[in-house]
Amino acid sequence: MDCGTCETSSPVQLMTPEVVDVNLSISNKAQEMLSDAFGDDRSMALLVGVLSGGCSGYMYDLQIVEETDQNCQEITVDGFKVLVPNASSHLLDGIEIDYVDRLMGGGFKINNPNAESSCGCGESFS
Amino acid sequence: MPLVAYPDAALTIWQGKDALKFIDGLSTNKMVDLEKGHLIQTVFTSSQAKIIDFVTVFHMGEVLAVQCHQSKLHNLLNHVLPRILSQDVSITDVTERNQFAIEYGVTNEHIGTFVSLSNVTYGHTESNMNIVIASKENSFEYTGTANEFDSWRIENLVPWNNHEITTKNHPLAAGLGQFVHPAKGCYIGQEILARMVSRGRQGKNLVRCKNTEVDDKLITTRGEIYSLGIVRPNQ
Repeated sequence: MDCGTCETSSPVQLMTPEVVDVNLSISNKAQEMLSDAFGDDRSMALLVGVLSGGCSGYMYDLQIVEETDQNCQEITVDGFKVLVPNASSHLLDGIEIDYVDRLMGGGFKINNPNAESSCGCGESFS
Repeated sequence: MPLVAYPDAALTIWQGKDALKFIDGLSTNKMVDLEKGHLIQTVFTSSQAKIIDFVTVFHMGEVLAVQCHQSKLHNLLNHVLPRILSQDVSITDVTERNQFAIEYGVTNEHIGTFVSLSNVTYGHTESNMNIVIASKENSFEYTGTANEFDSWRIENLVPWNNHEITTKNHPLAAGLGQFVHPAKGCYIGQEILARMVSRGRQGKNLVRCKNTEVDDKLITTRGEIYSLGIVRPNQ
């Protein structure tokens, strides 16, 4: 087998999506839950990203981070520092971060106007 | 054992720390436990659970070599490339540097592994076949024909690309059920396949049948007396 990795074969050109300036909102309930999670330390940031996978092809990725090596745009929403990777900005513009308070299937939810469909658990969209 | 040409094969190299997890998230088999020196076969499926391509992933250590098919490569890349986003994955097409063959009717003692001998890689698969990949500098001596290979496939109920493995079929109908992991996480098409399995309603099945017993249009690989076909249980 000739992998060609040490020679001249160049990678298949990635389909780089257009970077958009993301606007997003956080519901009152989600703000309450984020305040509990952050405490008084507002040096941390909420990373809102997208990974491949899930039943519908894309999965949301929510993390509280100090920093990230991803190329991100930093926005402040209702006092929270939010990081959105540029690579997935086209999928996240206009989203609302919500919190659903119920015993089964509860937790943070993303309401995404860009999603054509989403799977039953709400973690995945296309 | 007979060696036949595999003209529709393609080879891509997937690099980056997220490559294995990336394939795992988009295909039917469980990839994340794959170790260096091992291979695994998996199916990329659409949101309707139809086959995009059936691939063999060789874990080479630093990189993954993914043997796919030239006739499906364009659609496969269109499916995966927009989903890389910020993950560390890059894909290189090295098909032109390699040639491909199938050694069939073998008894593989080490299924799921591969060896490289004199720059020729032999991937030991579940179907009593070796996928043989060599750089263009090597030369293969074919000892079997495509017709003989088809006869062997009919006898052993082995599905093949562009016969049973087409974009019109889902993996269960095409005889690729052993490559659909029953308990891995979500991937595109998983809900449909899981529902088919749990309800026992997968619709069509790959069968070996007498030519006189099925409608011509259901035959996917035609033999002299017996053929392979994808049929509903009452057909």
